[in-house]
Amino acid sequence: MRDPDALVIRYGELALKGGNRRRYEQILRRNVAKALKPLGEVEVSVAHARILAYPKQRAMAMARRAAEVFGVTSVSPAYRVEANVEAICAQAGEVLDDYFARTIRGATLRFRVRVKRADKAFPMRSGELERVVADHVLIGKEGIEIDLREADLTLGIEVRGTENYVFLERLAGPGGLPVGTSGRGLCLLSGGIDSPVAAWLTMKRGMGVGFVSFDSFPYIGEGSMRKIEDLARRVTRFQGPAQWFVVPFTQIQEAIRDSCPERYRVVLYRRMMTRLASAIAQRAGYLALVTGESLGQVASQTIENIDLIGRAADRVILRPLITYDKEEAVTLARRIGTLELSSRPEPDCCTIFQPRAPVIFGQVEDCEFAESKLPMESLLRDALDRTRVQVLDPNE
Amino acid sequence: MEAIYLDNAASTPVAEAVRQRMLPFLGIECANPSTRYASGVRAAAAIEAARRKVQRVLCAQDHQVIFTAGGTEANNLAVLGAARSRGPGSVWIGATEHASVRRPSQALAQEGHQVRTLPLDAQGGLDLERALASIGPDTTVVAHMLVNNEVGTRYAIAPFFAAVRRKAPRAHLHVDCIQGLGKLDLSLEELNADSLSISAHKVHGPKGSGALVLHRNAKITPLIHGGPHEGGLRAGTENVAGIVGLAEAVHLASEHQLAFVASAEACRHALDAGLRRLAGFQARRTTDSVASIVSLTVPGAPGEVWQHHLEEFGLEVGLGSACQSKSGEISPALKALGLPDRDVRQVLRISFSRTTSVQEVQALVDALERLVPRLAEVPA
Repeated sequence: MRDPDALVIRYGELALKGGNRRRYEQILRRNVAKALKPLGEVEVSVAHARILAYPKQRAMAMARRAAEVFGVTSVSPAYRVEANVEAICAQAGEVLDDYFARTIRGATLRFRVRVKRADKAFPMRSGELERVVADHVLIGKEGIEIDLREADLTLGIEVRGTENYVFLERLAGPGGLPVGTSGRGLCLLSGGIDSPVAAWLTMKRGMGVGFVSFDSFPYIGEGSMRKIEDLARRVTRFQGPAQWFVVPFTQIQEAIRDSCPERYRVVLYRRMMTRLASAIAQRAGYLALVTGESLGQVASQTIENIDLIGRAADRVILRPLITYDKEEAVTLARRIGTLELSSRPEPDCCTIFQPRAPVIFGQVEDCEFAESKLPMESLLRDALDRTRVQVLDPNE
Repeated sequence: MEAIYLDNAASTPVAEAVRQRMLPFLGIECANPSTRYASGVRAAAAIEAARRKVQRVLCAQDHQVIFTAGGTEANNLAVLGAARSRGPGSVWIGATEHASVRRPSQALAQEGHQVRTLPLDAQGGLDLERALASIGPDTTVVAHMLVNNEVGTRYAIAPFFAAVRRKAPRAHLHVDCIQGLGKLDLSLEELNADSLSISAHKVHGPKGSGALVLHRNAKITPLIHGGPHEGGLRAGTENVAGIVGLAEAVHLASEHQLAFVASAEACRHALDAGLRRLAGFQARRTTDSVASIVSLTVPGAPGEVWQHHLEEFGLEVGLGSACQSKSGEISPALKALGLPDRDVRQVLRISFSRTTSVQEVQALVDALERLVPRLAEVPA
């Protein structure tokens, strides 16, 4: 059997966006096109509240890829047919025969045909066409019963006049909103499990994500940054190219080690990271910061310490994982393919000069007093001056 | 700044002569050595010439040379191949073996073989008396390294294997010579061994190329099944460029062996002399070790922090064993030598090749000296 020659790509919430709908559709179309392009030649358009893609090659791989794009609710690899009953029946029969040839069946299969008829000129109404096609495709087939309510297998037909489709499969998409419809956020990315998941969840709600990471070379080797880069590249797969800022952080950590109380070190590191990320966000035009913090997960993530760290920001901090258990984050990390990368054993910049007993319920006065001992201005300026930025492309 | 590379026990730069030998087989000489037209016959001839070269250098004209995809495969082939061909029995391995011997023996334990570890003496050498007292006639395989990859200890394999052979005449005796090549004379006869493994990239050859030298009477089963390549012991179209590179590297290693041993001694001497100026550093020394691998305990910050600070001076040094350092696992070999966990984390490995100069070693000492104020006081 030939490969599918069309992808019917459906989206959800966009339809509700009233006046913005056209803009959202165009952004989604562009995102789908960008995601599919590396796989081969393909045409992508918007029509009848659907994104339609016509792949010239690798149709099934493109279908799976399209089902990863935010905003997409489902994808059906489909066959284009002419707008007449014979052609539709013939294609439907072929699709179903192919399915049975590939599938081993046990119990009785509940089956239905679902028609969507947008072309009112088509000589048959939806219900009638469903019956005709079902009768045709089930000739000579055993162990199948029609069940309109709860089917194991649904054969879909869309009749639109010039373009008509027959399909069987429906790959679930991630839902959410197309990236680019909710502004831009800067994600503080480490080599851990949580922050890449936080970036992905933020993208899911339509926000374009850039990354900032903190480098403690030479206390920690080059491998740690390469690990973070691999993670960032992996996550950009879900949105396209992203900026990645790398801030040299060693001097700041040494200054904190030398001038501040030991038990406040980690909280103070994170306040400095938040300040630096805010400054970068300001310069590069990111509206929000994004972190992988989860309430109570570690000493620096008690509500007292999250509050202390958050006070160093000059803009909103999104914390998509704030209510997640570790297991939930791990499950998502596995699904988006970052878990394996995050599990690579490389030290994290927060582990250097780690205090023996970190503060659990930090006080703002203590923080501010400790920071008054630091040459704050020059530490920040120096780190920002030496910050490097590169654009990470998922396809490189 | 060009890096000063002092981690030659992990890998070495490919020698220009080796690269030149390989180039035709990465380009126009593309034929499969199993084919019968002229270019295929040329490729097959290049492999046989490489085999003869390796046989000549390792005095193995009467034995088999099986080309493999590196030292790990050669060790696996020897340990698994010999044990499986003999059936369940006792398999003995050294206490400080590389993972490429340790892991296959763990696999054998799951297949019903009894796997045991040979005892070390107080100096970290093989405890011959205790080892021989426990090895019985049911022994099927004894595998031991010739030179330890982390601390440079040279083990007395020849007398040990001679005694083992009297007690366990059925046993296959394998010696991992990967760190010995280019430093010591190697031959099955003199080591009293049934097989020895080598790897090209430890002696300025390419990665992914190694060999098992196998006694003509030894019996092993293959790990990889397929075509009749390598006498039926290692199926798969031959890596012609890698094999040609290996042979040239082995040949050069032998040509330069005496000069290298002398220059490594000089480097080692320069390092020892330099370290005497500094407090808190300790270069391990066992009764018998090669000069080109130095296990150096550093004060204060963990070895890893020293390693990355040395990078700022353009110096690249090793940390424990390179194959271990990525896994975050504490080197089992260093632990077997009696170092507590904390001390193992303080260990750097400095290793020389024939391109290492005394000036480079002096640059290392200078850098260590300059890092002392920054790192020697930092707690681990």
